[in-house]
Amino acid sequence: MDSKTLGYILKRIALAVLTVWVVITITFFVMHAVPGGPFMSEKAISGAAKAALEAKYGLDKPLFQQYLTYLKDIVTKFDFGPSLKQRGRQVTTIILDGLKVSVKLGLIAAFTALITGVVLGAVAALRRNKIIDRVIMVITTAFVSMPSFIMGSLLLIIFAIKFHILPANGSTTKGLILPVITLALYPMAYITRLTRSSMLDVLGQDYIRTAKAKGVSGKNIIFRHALKNSLIPVITYFGPMLAYIVTGSLVVEQIFAVPGIGRDFVTSITGRDYPLIMGTTIVLATLIVVMNLVGDILYKVIDPRINLE
Amino acid sequence: MKKFLAILLAAVMVFSLAACGGGEKNPSGDSKAASLNVCIASEPDTIDPALNSAVDGATLCVHLFQGLAKWEKDSTGKLSIVADAAKELTKGVKNADGTVTYTYTLKDGLKWSDGKDVTANDFVFAWNRAASAELAADYGYMFEVVSGYDKVSETKVKVDDNGQPVLNEDGEEVVEPANPDAKLDVKAVDDKTIEVTLATDASYWNELLAFPCYFPVREDVVSNEAWATEADTYVCNGPYTIDSWTHKSVITLKKNPNFIDADSITMDTINFYLSDDANNMLTNFKNGDWQLIDDVPTNEIETLKKDYPDEFFVEGQIGTYYVSWNINQNLLPKSSKLTGEEAEKAQAEIRNAMSLLLDRNYIVEKVAQGGQVPASSFVAMGMTNPDGTQFYETAGDKAKNGYVGYFDVSAESFEANCNKAVEILKKYYTYDEATKKFTDVPELTYLYNTNEGHKAVAEYIQGALANYGITLQLENQEWNTFLNTRKAGDYAAARNGWLADYNDPISFLDMWITDSGNNDVQFGKGANKNLKLYDLDLTPYGYDTKVTGGTWAETYDVLIKTIKTCEDNEVRYKLMHLAEDMLMSTGCITPLYFYTDLFMLSKSVDGFFSNPLGYKYFMYCTLK
Repeated sequence: MDSKTLGYILKRIALAVLTVWVVITITFFVMHAVPGGPFMSEKAISGAAKAALEAKYGLDKPLFQQYLTYLKDIVTKFDFGPSLKQRGRQVTTIILDGLKVSVKLGLIAAFTALITGVVLGAVAALRRNKIIDRVIMVITTAFVSMPSFIMGSLLLIIFAIKFHILPANGSTTKGLILPVITLALYPMAYITRLTRSSMLDVLGQDYIRTAKAKGVSGKNIIFRHALKNSLIPVITYFGPMLAYIVTGSLVVEQIFAVPGIGRDFVTSITGRDYPLIMGTTIVLATLIVVMNLVGDILYKVIDPRINLE
Repeated sequence: MKKFLAILLAAVMVFSLAACGGGEKNPSGDSKAASLNVCIASEPDTIDPALNSAVDGATLCVHLFQGLAKWEKDSTGKLSIVADAAKELTKGVKNADGTVTYTYTLKDGLKWSDGKDVTANDFVFAWNRAASAELAADYGYMFEVVSGYDKVSETKVKVDDNGQPVLNEDGEEVVEPANPDAKLDVKAVDDKTIEVTLATDASYWNELLAFPCYFPVREDVVSNEAWATEADTYVCNGPYTIDSWTHKSVITLKKNPNFIDADSITMDTINFYLSDDANNMLTNFKNGDWQLIDDVPTNEIETLKKDYPDEFFVEGQIGTYYVSWNINQNLLPKSSKLTGEEAEKAQAEIRNAMSLLLDRNYIVEKVAQGGQVPASSFVAMGMTNPDGTQFYETAGDKAKNGYVGYFDVSAESFEANCNKAVEILKKYYTYDEATKKFTDVPELTYLYNTNEGHKAVAEYIQGALANYGITLQLENQEWNTFLNTRKAGDYAAARNGWLADYNDPISFLDMWITDSGNNDVQFGKGANKNLKLYDLDLTPYGYDTKVTGGTWAETYDVLIKTIKTCEDNEVRYKLMHLAEDMLMSTGCITPLYFYTDLFMLSKSVDGFFSNPLGYKYFMYCTLK
């Protein structure tokens, strides 16, 4: 790796850290500015109990002091603190529990989408304007435009209720099949279209014609020359897509009752569970920042012509 | 191409397998023994019996713990409280100072799930822990009846080193426990004998003993603050133990072999699936995976009633859905010259009149649609008088009025109610006979928390009042913000609801004393604080108290205090009816309906029951 690339990567990492810090700061103060509090419920607890809880969790301290303590705990101890709502549980444990499921679901969905998308896209490009191309294009248009909650409900009705071959509850491994499909269809359709157009573009390039003229076999042209180059846009899309799938599976997690991180993200806010709000926000922000970073760096690795500056 | 595809497919398979490698076991798939799949709610906030304040958490606790008493359904289907860990539920012995002492003996052979003996000390420790300011449990006040609780809960203003009161960010004084070392008046006489003294005898004491916060916990177990968050640290003494707990997914309970009464438990395994998505629950019920679901989508209720007549259940739940008014909100027209007591008297009449304009039968049948019962009083259906009759059926003055409650809630009388309301409102507002509308009612705002069901009710109220020229703006707020606004009294009228903690009307009445944290109406606060317009006459009940033209604190607060120390149960119930009369005369509470608990239970399940507080009992279930 040359020094220019290294410098670029270091600069990007510094920027990423800065972004996360800004997110932490804004979230922290906005969250405290919102009315209500973690110990608010339909049935009020006594003043003494509330005071005891606030003292226990340090919420009786001035806000800026709470902020500094929080930053210090994260940086020095990587400690997100205890949940205020789920008494006795640590935010780190809650997030890891949810993230394990969300990441598993997200990764399976992402790779399913990537592999099927690339294959379908390549087939469509190679059989351009033939019947199979048309079919693929119609189906992918449908998938791109159909929101996941409709797709999810549709799959539920067909496979869980009508034929009863797959469970409606996403808590088991078998139960992950439907959510994976629901989650994968949109990016799969997107990747198919991306691969197709980029492959068509590449197939029209001079070097492909040269290769053909030199008598390189069809298989070699496709795999060694065409496919590799047409994957560049797919790879840049893959990083953000992965982050989107892992973090954005909220609706799908709800429909299939998948015990992922999506639910914590929402309930922590309605419950004003401050440490959990911070924890989920930081983890998800970091995930998105890192995925974008990886995508950009991969871009450079695959296509050396790209100038990072 | 074929080879390429083959490689790809292989890669997908290998990857998928690797990703699925966690090897979680299917909780419902492994045993030949009886197993039940149910879903009552999402992940509970806590299943520490002392900290829990939710109905779903309580359902888990009653399966995991054995208190001194429990709810039981006898062969005739009647629910009652019977002794559980205690040999018998003894009668209290009155002391010279008016306190009452109960002595309980534990059954022989009681064991914790880890094999250690359950001792009287475990109860003593658990009760003191649950009541302590240090634990700050939502239900700490459930120990209010126990002597010594007043000392435990007493607070003082926190002062800094200079003797100045410490203020929080909102500028309020911070309080702290006044007696940090105080304990409840409960002791272990020996390993098997518990002696507890109540400040005054409470008719619902036995029921409290069956309440989760009265369940025992062991000191060495709960010294680990996270003990109640994982299966392997959860030590309990009830019919079941936690076999596994996949957070946000499923809690599996297995029969506790150490449980003294294990032979009577017919269900070997219960899987509590954790979800709060009513659509997902219904899907799982429909395809037969789950045998009980505790929620159904509102828009499906009508269809489900028709399609599943034997599996769709509507049971009573002790709770009331109502509109609360801010007593300090001005309702009079600009032209009105009324002030002070006169103004509030008029407003009380106005609020009660507006209440008559709402058709509860329509709300229940067309809006809420869940089999709820139209309400004309505040203390909910399900609360009983000492003679077993329903408290709500004896509310108001039936002998005089000919109807139950504070107005006639029957569908036939709705029109008459409206006419009556119009006549009352005419006294204060200008009525346009041509349009049949009032023209100078100040615009009001109705606050509710963001939710489809509450929105529908709000829109109905808005429409009903608009028919008479009364403009109601609707404002919805997100849950936590809403609670904050309503508690602060920063509203005119708001959606409200209350579910009882225990089967005694006082749990609906003591929330309205001036200093209660649930006094959303703001009785005795703000401008209402100094209004001297309430009367209280307790002389017919053998007390000296007689106040004419007193403040809320001088009347209602005194009445509640009297009820809490009253030992004659007959009188006590009369006083509670009196308190409700007083509450309803202010018009600040507009009851709409009594809550019901909707659930779906598979025909294949026998032996299920639930108690009036909504706890569900699965231990005696069998599968057909």
